[in-house]
Amino acid sequence: MLKIENLSTEVNGKKILKKVNLKIARGETHVLLGANASGKSTLLYTLMGFPEYTVVKGRIVYDSKDITRLSIEERAKLGMAAVYQNPPTINVRLSKLLDKIARKKVNLKGIESLLDREINLGYSGGERKLSEIIQVTSLDPEFIILDELDAGLDVENLERLSSVVKQEFADKSILLITHRGKALRFFRPDCAHVMLNGEIICSSTNWKRIWKTIEEDGYERCKTCQLHPAGS
Amino acid sequence: MKDAKHANYTQLDHKVDIVGEQGVVILTSLQAYEQFAWCREYFSQQPQEGYFIWVKRSQPQPITTSIVMCSQYVTQNSLNLVVVDQDVQAEMINTCAAQRGNLYGKHIGHTKIVVKENARFKVKHVHSWGKDDTVNSNLELTLKRGSEVSYSQRCNHAPLKLTLENINYLDEYASLNYAATVLSEQGQIEMYDDTYLNGRKSNGISRVKMIARENTRLHAQSRMFANAAGTGHLDCMGLLLGDNSDIVAIPELINKNRDASLTHEASVGKISEEVLNYLRSRGLTEDEAIDLVVTGFLGEEENVVIDGVPVSSKTYM
Repeated sequence: MLKIENLSTEVNGKKILKKVNLKIARGETHVLLGANASGKSTLLYTLMGFPEYTVVKGRIVYDSKDITRLSIEERAKLGMAAVYQNPPTINVRLSKLLDKIARKKVNLKGIESLLDREINLGYSGGERKLSEIIQVTSLDPEFIILDELDAGLDVENLERLSSVVKQEFADKSILLITHRGKALRFFRPDCAHVMLNGEIICSSTNWKRIWKTIEEDGYERCKTCQLHPAGS
Repeated sequence: MKDAKHANYTQLDHKVDIVGEQGVVILTSLQAYEQFAWCREYFSQQPQEGYFIWVKRSQPQPITTSIVMCSQYVTQNSLNLVVVDQDVQAEMINTCAAQRGNLYGKHIGHTKIVVKENARFKVKHVHSWGKDDTVNSNLELTLKRGSEVSYSQRCNHAPLKLTLENINYLDEYASLNYAATVLSEQGQIEMYDDTYLNGRKSNGISRVKMIARENTRLHAQSRMFANAAGTGHLDCMGLLLGDNSDIVAIPELINKNRDASLTHEASVGKISEEVLNYLRSRGLTEDEAIDLVVTGFLGEEENVVIDGVPVSSKTYM
């Protein structure tokens, strides 16, 4: 579904991602772990095609097509979507946006009050995530990036939203980006990766082991741990 | 409800058609000037054209007025007077428009609205002009004790030159919610609104929204005067979309009473890249994303109810 080959990215002339390689098959869920400022969100915005994230080397292949030079909306139309951690406030009612973007009917029962409000204006953390998930669900995407889904949510809300995501995107490819790992037990990913200083330094299907190491010793330990070096 | 009637004044160029209704007196301004001595004090001169509307009883249907330019080079000069009697509730929908583009018409409208004690009056004023027209719209609102007025005017098709001036006087316990929205491309727009809080516990809100596309000058000056212990708020927002355009937003608060409270907000800017990129990542093109944000900025166009039937503002126009 998604293949990232030797990808290096710059933002305002500063090199952020360095030779990133990642492969996510159709229907698989991968988790990208990493400390703050390790480059995880840069990978998200690069994958989604945001203009200020310049690919200086490598390529992104989506569904056998090189999308490295495609615009944001072209990627969205191919079926890529993201649930953002900090989406902007927009003076447009959520229902109005859904009218414009929806490719699929979404069950809106129980969220009617959200629909009449301007996007992200005065939303709680949970409402913000819910709005993101509703939008992305309506796009009927094939590949979804979830950026810090567990940020700003209590356990109950995280469990509820995770179960919505799992149900809506059961057969889709997912890249879950997180540094806390709270969402891991709800998603049980097929593969986990650790990013440090813009590089993926560790990849393994044994996500429990990776997360245990991080939980016990922090991301610093990943610098010296040689259990699952990326590319091995 | 489809059989319900509504009072109406229509003026095409200078030709007038009036439909009366119980509890509302509708005449041309000249007829009123000649018929009712008391109303002469409201006219600065003997009017030649325009409407006189005297709402004596609450109206279940909105009163409608339409002043439309139909011929090339036509000049309209309307002096209008609306009086809403004490305790009456009514709604009015005003349309001022050019029937088509390239008329090079000139429209001048001077309207005085007097809302008497404890009356409730809601006005929607829709402008739609051709690119070559010149328009000067002047409004004076007088709110007597305890009255409530909501006045919203919207111009999504601004002419070459548009001046909107309004002045509002609020007595004790009177409440005004004034909103003006203008979208212009290649136009020169000037908007002035002054609100005087002359009675204690009066409350005035003025919201101005402007969108400048290409080659547009937009100037908005809103002033709130507190002569008594009332509350007032000014809101001035501009969205700069096009090149070679500018927006000037000047909110002014003039407080002459230490128990009054006045606030204001003003912002002028373009649509942020962050918002556009976000919307593009939802599959919208950049133009679609801009249109959506502009629509949101302008606010939803409420339906108007004519003869008991809800009609969108666009369809109504």
